Amino acid sequence: MRRATTTKLRPLKLPPHERRQLGNGLQLHLVPRGPLPLVAVRLVMRGGSVWDPPGKAGVADFASRLFRRGAGGKSADELSEAIDFVGAALGGYANEENVVLSLSSPAKHLEAMLELMGLVLLQPDFPVAELESARRRTLAQLQNELDDPGSLAERAWARAMWGAHPYGHETLGQKRSIEALTRDDLVAFHRTRLSPALAHLYVVGDIDVDRVTTVAERVFGAWRGGPELAPLVPDWPGPKDAGHVVIVDKPEQTQVQVRVGAAGVKRGHVDHFPLVVMNAVLGGGFTSRLITEIRVKRGLSYGANSAFDMLSAAGTFLVTSFTKTKSVGTLLDVALGEVKKMRSRGPTPVEVETMKRYISGLYPARLETNEAVAGAIADVQHYGLPEDWISAYRDRVIAVTAKDAAAAAARHLFTDQRVIVLVGNARELSEVASRYGPVTVLKPADLE
Amino acid sequence: MPKPKPRPKATVKLSPALSAIADSVIEAKLANGLRVRLLPNDAVPTCSYYTFFRVGARNERPGITGISHLFEHMMFNGAKKYGPGMFDKELESNGGSSNAYTSNDLTVYYEDFMAEALEKVVDLESDRMRSLAVTPKMLASERQVVIEERRLRVDNEISGMMDEELGSLVYKAHPYRWPVIGWMRDIENISREDCLEYFRTFYAPNNATIYVSGDFDPKQALALIKRAYGGLKAGPPAPPVLDAEPEQKGERRADVHYPAQAPSLMIAWRGPAGSHADTLVLDVVQYALSVGQSSRLHRRLVHDLELAVGVSVDWTWRFDPGTFTVGLELKPGGDPKQAEAALTAELERLAAEGLTARELEKAKNNLAATLTRELATNSGRAHALGTYELMLGDWRRGLALPSAYESITSEQVKEVVRRYLTPARRNVVTLVPQSSVEAAA
Repeated sequence: MRRATTTKLRPLKLPPHERRQLGNGLQLHLVPRGPLPLVAVRLVMRGGSVWDPPGKAGVADFASRLFRRGAGGKSADELSEAIDFVGAALGGYANEENVVLSLSSPAKHLEAMLELMGLVLLQPDFPVAELESARRRTLAQLQNELDDPGSLAERAWARAMWGAHPYGHETLGQKRSIEALTRDDLVAFHRTRLSPALAHLYVVGDIDVDRVTTVAERVFGAWRGGPELAPLVPDWPGPKDAGHVVIVDKPEQTQVQVRVGAAGVKRGHVDHFPLVVMNAVLGGGFTSRLITEIRVKRGLSYGANSAFDMLSAAGTFLVTSFTKTKSVGTLLDVALGEVKKMRSRGPTPVEVETMKRYISGLYPARLETNEAVAGAIADVQHYGLPEDWISAYRDRVIAVTAKDAAAAAARHLFTDQRVIVLVGNARELSEVASRYGPVTVLKPADLE
Repeated sequence: MPKPKPRPKATVKLSPALSAIADSVIEAKLANGLRVRLLPNDAVPTCSYYTFFRVGARNERPGITGISHLFEHMMFNGAKKYGPGMFDKELESNGGSSNAYTSNDLTVYYEDFMAEALEKVVDLESDRMRSLAVTPKMLASERQVVIEERRLRVDNEISGMMDEELGSLVYKAHPYRWPVIGWMRDIENISREDCLEYFRTFYAPNNATIYVSGDFDPKQALALIKRAYGGLKAGPPAPPVLDAEPEQKGERRADVHYPAQAPSLMIAWRGPAGSHADTLVLDVVQYALSVGQSSRLHRRLVHDLELAVGVSVDWTWRFDPGTFTVGLELKPGGDPKQAEAALTAELERLAAEGLTARELEKAKNNLAATLTRELATNSGRAHALGTYELMLGDWRRGLALPSAYESITSEQVKEVVRRYLTPARRNVVTLVPQSSVEAAA
């Protein structure tokens, strides 16, 4: 391969990003951007599942999804009809750190949809019949997910990684707590966890900035209450089951889902860009070392990748792949070997140049939709990233040297502090699994 | 393939946003039959490059099912100028990425890349169309990759198993009866000679259409494409596919026994071809039944009766008559008979009463919003317009869809439901949960 030549990057043409603040502290981020007559809205509130109280894991997500099933005296059917009729989509959910209300609307219906967004946020009724129906549906879906090997792997991995740390709330322990949730729990969540002082409203698309400000003031201006300061996320001591192997027994499987997890870094880490480039070489793009060794050279799998997931207080590193039962040992040896090689020797200068070009060249395509722009700006805000994070992203990627990437690999890739999860036939897997550490076998039902 | 309808008249009024896209398209056809469509747009400094080949599982025969998809994989494994592994290396080092998919009707390759890399992408794509190498070593390795993909998507994935069962239930004679990924034994046995013949037959320039969308100069781009592809020879027209499917004369049922928490259902009817006028009416039916929490099946089956925890309706346009499929995810212990009866009652009501004016308008609003959303990115524009051209004969008909939907009436809805979604034309696949122990025994 020839070395890529450096050329000057074409400008990003970022749309203007106007910031305003309402009297109650709610911050507005307004980005007028055409040409399509569409608008994306995100209301991001710091109050996600990490702050679910003991025994109430899942309450933030469950309550947020119920916001639009009855609010301000309007029934779920009335609200759904109003949203669906104009071709909009509106919904609430929680992730680890945030509660999010998300709206996608044709531009000409934006005001009416913002009014409804305000109604479901500020006056959810949590009707008992809707609560019970949602509880039955959620429990059934949680159980049905046990049929999906990928979901099982994710749940087993989250348990082995996070242990009792609240970052595990999002995927674990939901069955018992959802069975026990009361309407009072939902009302308490709504009253105590959500606050305009900790909220940001992003409106991106075909908008008039002043008009949206006026509407936002009318809709959200009277919102009061909730905490003034963002609660802290406790420190994470590292993977709970480091060095261990967890098998989830699905005897009928002819293919094994494989996960290897370890500690990563927090968002905004000083090594962020060297890590992004290094990981692209290891398991990011389609020419990555993992793809080359696992898929191209050995035909062991259809897919193999590695990724850093970076949250505010902790981060993880995860290798994902799958292969037929009898190839699991080979696949694990290759994957662990590639991580080890990268940790000890780093990427080559040619690999680093290639991936810098790959990441920086495609970066603008990550900002093509209103939703993507809203998400990128929201990340800068939420994680306290530098103001020029988006505009200087490509330059920072290009500034990474092979030496930086090698140093980041040596510092952050795991040695023996890793968790291995295998979903497949435990009887056929246990011998090979024991080569990698003490083995625990779980049944799918253990992960409800 | 049914003949495309005549182009919409110039009087069809497009919204300003769609009209701007329509005005930007530049069309060309090379002497060898290659169709080229350019959509310049400098909103972001990247491009998308799509190559549509008019070939898919529909063009296969028993014994080599899955060859379209396996071949799609082989297209990344080396040609004359860029050898094994070079396609993606060259692309990624020039700031780009690639992928591809195979459907029943089409094989589609696409790249997203920084604008400066257009010349490189044209070189890479034309190289493999001109001189693909199918080496025994690469074929042996790629075959294993595809077998793992089949294990992932079908053999260890319940909806994949059910979908495969459904295909051979709905179709007795048409090639839509086998899965796009192919039967396992066929994947294991497809030969290098099969691949070479397939390449000669279906990968000629006159069987391909290129769409480029993004930040480029159209004159330069067209010159690049002409230089790179102009020397390729046209092939004979691809052999026609005969639609020998007989009329279905009664309901067909199949069970899938597999370890599962809950039963589920896939219920399907053979519909019209993608270019048939009834297809747009079925689009409206699909949306009225399943899009949004206020849609009929969501309200009735999920919320009012709680017979299902999830409802989906798939109505994918195809060259020949495709399938209108309702998927029902049940609760553990749920009763598939009850769920099926509730669905039947909803369809009977639709056949008898049609949709209210408001439901009709709601479906049309959502269809228009979906179309607008898919045009938000370079990749989305190239893919949407390309698909419309291949499926409807002209991309203009795609952009005119909102006005075509506008004229659909409740009477037409009743008619198509009575014509297609009847008990006698129904095909039902039921997942019967089995315990893991039974499965292993």
